[in-house]
Order: sequence, then structure tokens, then C-alpha cells
Amino acid sequence: MNAPVCAVAKPLPEWRRFRFPQSLYKYAVALATLGFLAWSLDVLRIDVERLPGILGRMFEVLSDRYWPPHVHHVLESAYIDAVIDTFQMSYVATILGLLIAMPLAWFGSFNMTPSRRFLYPAARLIVMACRSIHEMIWIILLVAIIGFGMLPGTLAMTLFCVGFAGKLLAEAVEAIRKGPVEAVRASGANKLQVFVFAVLPQVRVAWTGIAIYTWDVVFRAATVVGFFGAGGMGHFLRESVQRVESQQVAAIVLSIVLIVFVAELLSAWIRNSISRAIG
Amino acid sequence: MPAILEVQDLRVSYTAGREVLKGINFTVDADDFLAIIGPSGSGKSTLIRCVNRLVEPSGGQILFEGRDLLKLGESKMRAERRNIGMIFQEFNLIERLSVIDNVLTGRLGYTGTWRSLFRAFSKDDIRNAVRLLDRVGLIEHLDKRADQLSGGQRQRVGIARALIQNPKMLLVDEPTSSLDPKIAREVMTLIREIAREFNVPVLCNIHDVDLALEFCSRVIGLQEGTKRFDGPPSEIDKHVLADIYSMEVL
Repeated sequence: MNAPVCAVAKPLPEWRRFRFPQSLYKYAVALATLGFLAWSLDVLRIDVERLPGILGRMFEVLSDRYWPPHVHHVLESAYIDAVIDTFQMSYVATILGLLIAMPLAWFGSFNMTPSRRFLYPAARLIVMACRSIHEMIWIILLVAIIGFGMLPGTLAMTLFCVGFAGKLLAEAVEAIRKGPVEAVRASGANKLQVFVFAVLPQVRVAWTGIAIYTWDVVFRAATVVGFFGAGGMGHFLRESVQRVESQQVAAIVLSIVLIVFVAELLSAWIRNSISRAIG
Repeated sequence: MPAILEVQDLRVSYTAGREVLKGINFTVDADDFLAIIGPSGSGKSTLIRCVNRLVEPSGGQILFEGRDLLKLGESKMRAERRNIGMIFQEFNLIERLSVIDNVLTGRLGYTGTWRSLFRAFSKDDIRNAVRLLDRVGLIEHLDKRADQLSGGQRQRVGIARALIQNPKMLLVDEPTSSLDPKIAREVMTLIREIAREFNVPVLCNIHDVDLALEFCSRVIGLQEGTKRFDGPPSEIDKHVLADIYSMEVL
């Protein structure tokens, strides 16, 4: 006969994955989530039975009113000028926004900020303020203050860019290796020198990627800011919508989809080739 | 020989009430190659980082050529750091910069902010960087990116970076623990050679007792933040090691 594995009969604790208080919390959370969903559906009067019919109706409306799109409308030089305007607006806003966001990312990164007591909270506050106000609200505000045109659109996109890129850039700084920072500090370098020599080389690739991605997102937003009076192609969208020129609207929406799609492909391709070249 | 560094009653606590260093006293003379040995967590690395204030001590005095470093303001301390070269365990090179740019970062303390933003180091600095890289045997790798080098080569870049500061003392933090035994001895040999050549004392943190005994002129034994031994390698025997490491050494 084999010897028993446990020679001494010691009482072993019984192990269960969920024990009393934890299991209660778990089920309470699940119940609350589902309960809130049911309540919201009830309040919103979402009639689940009508949902399948929507696709059919959508097709009907599209084919009746929006088809065929007036493609020649988006090929007119006025519209093409507006596309170029939009591109320039997003470009200027991205560059301005990044120039503001880069120092804010330095000040607002917990590990590298020159002053944890003042600059860090100040930079975080500015970035958060830019983020917490939606870009469309910035536009409505700025159009109200400085009137119609490209300027409010560019400014609003700049603020959006600061909020968007400021956070991502700072997160990249917070992920660096500490060793090179220590080495450069040990040589007697000042804080700006430490940032330029120990931090920038480490975040160069990430920051370039973030910059291009930011442009891509800013450009997408810029295609519709004209709807609120801030210049660019969105302005044409608004005019066509107001005149109920549905086939023009269709052409404009299609052109926006296409241009944004191309911009995204372009940005992804540039990001990839850059990270391959300097990664 | 006059002492270049005099550490008195040095105390560090990262969290209030728990001291990592509990009142350390020692001196480094101008011709010393001083090793600090001790078990992991004994405070070796903290001790060495206090000297150039990468770690902020909570009490005591650090007299460097008679000046108390702990009393200096930020910009004066930066100026002092130029006199103290440091070599690191993980080399701490900036991997995406070239070998020569890594060495030139050792001159940042002497270079104005505007010039350094454009990496406009002086002609003398550049000549010096090339000369030092030749001295450590890396003259063919000037333009390579630091992350293309092997471990031993990277540590040589680290040594050149410390030397270009024109230091009056070298702090060396576990220079060999990221290297294999053969490369480790080569690096220690190189550090000993340059210490003589450039006439700088070395304060070196090292966990490998055999290397410490072979290369160093004096040894300090640290255990849980207190000094247990201070003397020449010849005085270190089984009992001393047993005391420092609080274990039976076979």
C-alpha cells in the first residue's frame, strides 16, 4: 500500500471563490446595472418592436429624397475651396494646439513636472478645461463672441487640440524610463536640459504619432464646424440642409465621409512609416 | 591625503519614521577606490545617490572639498554635480541618441541652455568626447545609436560620459550587475585604470564581494542602514562578511 500523501491529518481550510459579503456586492452591482437599463428603456419609450422596420424606412427615405446625390455640387470650385480652407484650418489649429500642448504636457506630467505644487495642477487644469467643454460648444461660444468665419473655427479647434493632445502627450511622458533622467540630472543639467535630453528622445516617436493622430481627429471635427458658422465645408452642409436640398446634402455628406476616410488612412500610413524610420 | 568627501551622520527616510540610512559616517580620500558592500536593501544605492543629491537626505552633512552639499540651493547644487561623475547599473544611456551625443550630455552642466537646445556643444567638448571614446575603445561607434551597442560597450559610453564632466570624484552604482562575469572584470579594470589616469577617487557600490576585494583599496560594509565595517580589503575575513550579511559565510 502506498504511503498517504499527507501523513498528519491536518484540517485544511475550505476555499471558495466567492464569500458572503463579496458575493452580495457582486450580485447587487449586476442587478443595479440591469435595473437602470430597464428603467432607461422604459423612460425613453424605446419600442423594441419598431427597430427592425427602421432599416427599411431609412432605405426608402434615402432613395426617395437623397438619391442620386448631386455630385457636381461638391465639384464646384467654391466647395473645393472650402475643403482646402478646412484642411488649412485643421492644420493651423493642430500646430498651434501642439505648440501649447507640448509645454503643458511637460508641466502636467507627474514624474517630470518642474513644480509639483504649482505648474502641475495648473497645467492639468488647463488641459482638463479644454477637454471638458465639447468642441461644438467652443464653436458656438466663439462664434457668439467673434462672429462668423474661419477664426472662431481655428480657435475652437486649437482649444480642442490642447485638451486632446495635452493629455496624451503627458501620458507618454509619464511612461518614460527614469534611468536616463537620473543620469542627465547627475551631470548638472537644469530642468529644461533634462527634459530636452532625457525625456524628448524617449517620447519622440510617441509624440509624433500623437501629433498626427491629433491632426486626424481635428480635421474630422473641422469638417462640420462650418455648420455652426465657423467656416469650411460644414457651411455648405448647413445651407443645403436649410434649403432642403437633400441631394446636395447627400453629396456633401458623402464627400465628408470620403475625405475623412482618406485623412485617416493617410495619418495611419504616416504614423507607421515614421515609427519605422525613427523607432 | 586630505579627504575629498566627508559624510557625517547621514540619515535618509523615504517614509516618515522608517530610516533607510541611520547615521552613516565615512570619508573618501583623494586616492581612494572605496567599495560599499552589503546585502540588498541595506541602503548602498541610496547612500551613493545622496552624495549628488539624486536622493534628498533627511539629516547629516556631506562635505565635498569642505562645502556642505546639503546646504546648497538648487542652482549651486547643479554646479557641484558637474564635479561628481556618475556611472550607473543599467548604464542609463539615452537609447535613441548617438554614442557621441550620449557622451556630450555629460557637458550639459557647462553648456548654456540655449546652446544645448540646439545641441551646439563647443568644439573643445566635441574633441574631448572623441578622445574619450577612443580611450574607452569605442572610436568606431561614434555615430551609432546607443541601443545598438552591447552591454559592455554601453557601460564604456557611460564611463566616457562621466569623465567628460572633468569630475573630481566618481560615483559608481553597481557597474557590473547588468554584465556577464568576464565583461564585468573588464569594466572594473577600465574604471580602475581611468581613476588612476584622471586622478579621481571612486566611491563604488558593488554587491560582488570578490570584485570589491580585488579592485578596491578600501571597503565599507553596510547592513540595514548602518555601517558595520570600514577598512582595507585585507582585513575582511569570513567573520566580517558573516557580520555584514548577517549569515553564515561558508
